[in-house]
Amino acid sequence: MEAIKNALDFSDFPKIDRMLALAVFSFLLAFPLFPLSAFAMATMIQFLMFSLYGMGWNTIGGYGGQVDLGKAQYVGIGAYTTTVCLLRWDIPFWVSMPIGACLSIGWSFIIGYPLFKLKGHYFAIATIATSLVLKDLFEVWKFVGAARGLGILPFKYQVPDFTRLIFKEDIYYYYVIFVFFSIGLLYMNWFRQSRLGFQLRAIKDNEEVARSLGINVHWAKIKTYAIATAFVSVVGSFHAVYVKNIEPEDTMSLDLSILIALMAMLGGAGSLWGPIIGAGVLIPLKSYLKEWLGAAAGLVGIDLIIYGLIIMIISAFEPRGLWGIVEKARRRRRI
Amino acid sequence: MALLEVHNLVKAFGGLKANDDVSFAVETGELLGLIGPNGAGKTTLFNCVAGMFPPTSGRIVFAGEDVTALGSHEMARRGLARTFQVYVAGGDLNVLENVMVGCFMHTRSQSQARTRAEGILEDLGLRDLKLNLVNELPVAAQKRVTMATALATSPRLLLLDEVAAGLNPSEIEDIMAGIRHIHSELGITVMLIEHVMELVMNISERVIVLDYGRKIAEGLPQNVARDPQVIKAYLGERYVRERKAL
Repeated sequence: MEAIKNALDFSDFPKIDRMLALAVFSFLLAFPLFPLSAFAMATMIQFLMFSLYGMGWNTIGGYGGQVDLGKAQYVGIGAYTTTVCLLRWDIPFWVSMPIGACLSIGWSFIIGYPLFKLKGHYFAIATIATSLVLKDLFEVWKFVGAARGLGILPFKYQVPDFTRLIFKEDIYYYYVIFVFFSIGLLYMNWFRQSRLGFQLRAIKDNEEVARSLGINVHWAKIKTYAIATAFVSVVGSFHAVYVKNIEPEDTMSLDLSILIALMAMLGGAGSLWGPIIGAGVLIPLKSYLKEWLGAAAGLVGIDLIIYGLIIMIISAFEPRGLWGIVEKARRRRRI
Repeated sequence: MALLEVHNLVKAFGGLKANDDVSFAVETGELLGLIGPNGAGKTTLFNCVAGMFPPTSGRIVFAGEDVTALGSHEMARRGLARTFQVYVAGGDLNVLENVMVGCFMHTRSQSQARTRAEGILEDLGLRDLKLNLVNELPVAAQKRVTMATALATSPRLLLLDEVAAGLNPSEIEDIMAGIRHIHSELGITVMLIEHVMELVMNISERVIVLDYGRKIAEGLPQNVARDPQVIKAYLGERYVRERKAL
């Protein structure tokens, strides 16, 4: 009971935050009712997806301070599970999504156990490595279509199909991911006030001290890594039915892992609004860079250059991201 | 009954023995001081007892249970809390949240942890600072916050590592009152490392002296202070010779 109460309790935020959050939420709820371009719609769905990826990353990377650059492997596991289940056995989305999440969590325990023996940069590099190895395996695995990947053919299904989540209009997908987004946000609001949330912040600050307060540091990290994984895997499953065409290169690439981490890092690692702010800035930027500058002007790879620049600027000036700047200003005004 | 027993503890870092065959016991309800010159191995001894690293050899018994091989968090769960000598919480946790982390050892509920943490802060006179970040506080307040955080785990034995270092005389008074309060009102057994002689001699019921990793004396504060070996360890051989010559 207390968990539900805490999930709905935003009262420790200043009034202006709550008003702004409510305004943004209402806007998101009403957005599809405005007759806008398909491009805007696609961008908004991407925004919601990446907010969720960012929220997941924020548990272990933001609150726990363990910079994880291998989240794409779980996008892959989620996406492939859902697609394979649908194509081979006609298992609906609402069943394959939890299966994918369970597989992801299982895999996260297997690699999390040794991974969290490492610290700092070594941990970050190891997460990249595991993700890339898994991607390479999928590229030669015939059962899942190897490098060419798998495709869902929408005309084989009676649209709108609510159990398999096959739709023709994006508005359906928008509201499905919007519901996920709302649940994710409430979960994160609970998480930051939970025992695990507090313990992670203590671990980020100083592991020795955390241990002396009775926290099993290794286990707390593994648990949180599994939570982050579940978030990413669920959105990965959604990605599969939304995009309908997956291949290792776009579901498990290093670019995607970095982009996921960047949402929370730019917006504000270790804060509730951070990943949403980050996605709000980066996703329109990404669409713009890729679709217009990248394709039209032939500047292939410009998006990666810009992401690299953003990482450098954040780590040099404000490790806590855009939200860190806001909090700093507030703190100064109070003192 | 002895709450903590340490038998023939040896801790070697490579060829250097930081603790060499140290044995002692802490009785339930006691306030024990651990002194010794710089590099005598006091903090190493604390770290071994608290499970931060395992001893090279020897045995540690806590509340009747052999805990030699246990790690820090397991020791904390058995009722041993400690403070750290050089530690400033740099993170984004404020004073209240810091103490809440300790309270979360015994509860999952955020509201219970908050209530208890507020009680502890009130008790140690830190209530007005509860929304500050720890690293913006003066040293004396930081030391009290680390004590409050350790206390939040409801320990049976509290190890305090130089909580008076770098404080001025009136702040030392305050800390002393705090330790006395923890010991007598809250009934927690306390063992403290201290360089500030005035504090150790004043409040300890019993004192252990380490030098070069070995235990060289043990007893009542006033007796230990007169022990020639202790004087030699602190003030040097020459000082003792010259005093004899006088």
